[in-house]
Amino acid sequence: MSTYKIPVGPLHVALEEPMYFKVEVEGETVTGLDIQAGHVHRGIEYLVAKRNIHQNIVLTERICSLCSNSHPFSYCMALERIGGIIVPERVEYLRVVADEIKRIASHLFNVAITAHLVGFDTLFMQVMETREIMQDTKETIFGNRMDLGANRIGGVRYDLDGEGKAYLAAQLARMKAPLDEFRDLYETNGSFLRRTKGVGVLPRADAIRLGLVGPVARASGVDYDVRRKAPYVVYDRLDFDVQTLADGDVWSRTMIRLREVKESVRIIEQCLRDIPEGPISIDAIPEIPAGEAIAKSEAPRGELIYYLRTDGSDKPARLKWRVPSYNNWKGLQVMMAGCKVADIALIVGSIDPCISCTER
Amino acid sequence: MKYLQAVVAEGLKDAAPDRHKIEFRTDVKGVTTAWCVLDEKDDLLAVARFLAEGSARLSTITAYSTEKAKRTGNFEIAYHFDLDGDTLTVSVHVPPDGEVDSITSLFDNADWPEREMAELYGIKLRGHPHPERLFIDESLGDAVFDQYIPYSTMVNAATTKGLWEKVIAKGKGKGEGTP
Repeated sequence: MSTYKIPVGPLHVALEEPMYFKVEVEGETVTGLDIQAGHVHRGIEYLVAKRNIHQNIVLTERICSLCSNSHPFSYCMALERIGGIIVPERVEYLRVVADEIKRIASHLFNVAITAHLVGFDTLFMQVMETREIMQDTKETIFGNRMDLGANRIGGVRYDLDGEGKAYLAAQLARMKAPLDEFRDLYETNGSFLRRTKGVGVLPRADAIRLGLVGPVARASGVDYDVRRKAPYVVYDRLDFDVQTLADGDVWSRTMIRLREVKESVRIIEQCLRDIPEGPISIDAIPEIPAGEAIAKSEAPRGELIYYLRTDGSDKPARLKWRVPSYNNWKGLQVMMAGCKVADIALIVGSIDPCISCTER
Repeated sequence: MKYLQAVVAEGLKDAAPDRHKIEFRTDVKGVTTAWCVLDEKDDLLAVARFLAEGSARLSTITAYSTEKAKRTGNFEIAYHFDLDGDTLTVSVHVPPDGEVDSITSLFDNADWPEREMAELYGIKLRGHPHPERLFIDESLGDAVFDQYIPYSTMVNAATTKGLWEKVIAKGKGKGEGTP
């Protein structure tokens, strides 16, 4: 049988962000994949070197929408490390709350899109409706549905009083019954299982070889979560299970995210219970000396690493970050080998890719 | 921390004896970052080799030219490795027309970050299997981080008009008429 090359993308491959795939097919079967990136390269790594350290909190939050909070959060941690700033304990809890709310909304979005990609649009609508509880929560607590503007150097820019805590607890409680329902549906629905089980398989050895991270790696049995391996803020005090599955297929990646949503709900509930009274920021920001630091966090898509180098001025000498999607694209070459053309979009969606993050 | 120190100290002894500086910092949570500067950039492959054998994962690579580096004309390249949660940063200095060894033979995922530092800073790679552009369009020169380039030119899909002008020009060149 002769082989053909078909272009997939750059627009509307599973999501409304541009990435161009040159797919080699033999009949209906994929035999090769070439990824062409660069459609939304915005040069943000250049821009951050032209702005001062405070302006960059605003700019880094705009690298990505679904993991927007992870960027200023990690950037602030890197700055605080260089400046020797110890943040108040209450800040550490509030930072966890903001980050986990974003994780719930991000994971549920992908879980919903996966249902849409297999043509199960009623389930898509139901999951999005439940996700809307978190969107409402963000709007109520932070004033925004996507960019929270929660972080500042040495503190946070929001607080939870008694009323706020009760509201958040009630919103989390509203999610529990639908989440259990979804778990049952995604675990047992025949048509969903037929489209996702054994599809887009990524073996553990390949996940390690390619340095994949986050739910994609954990669905292939790689037990790595930054919150556990390199704890930051108060994650070392919180009780949560790192989710792993062995099969590395589209179904496993979806289930990992669904399970992590439940863990995030648990984490926020513990924060609401344990959060101490105290200030939400340090009094004055000291001068940031020359130095360098690494800050890592577990963004919704996996390990996010920030490298910051300062020279004593108010602008970073170099600020570099690597988002989890950046590594995960390479996994597609393994996942797609031998798959059917009809599964391409589904497999692309299953790595929960973020292109604006990848290209910056 | 112990794992990191043991692996790194032992490996450096063979890979770059007396040609490196190393510093360890551990935070209140017990997470360690190690900072290693190699005197010779050509020791990089040997260092990367023992890290690959010690099951390190390459997190990312940062290339930069700081103010001081700009005066001397050097680039600094920092390779960030994850060792079970701890991070080791290995830095090398590369002169402006010098080359640096690609570590793609040891770390598959070095492919993209190496191509990115080549297109952003014009750093030359030795032994990269396919050193093409990653994000930046071929029509732009090397080292875009040192130039002023308008946003609309920078992105591949510039504007509808610009894109069609390219398509028309290409079509004319082939004698196929205008689309």
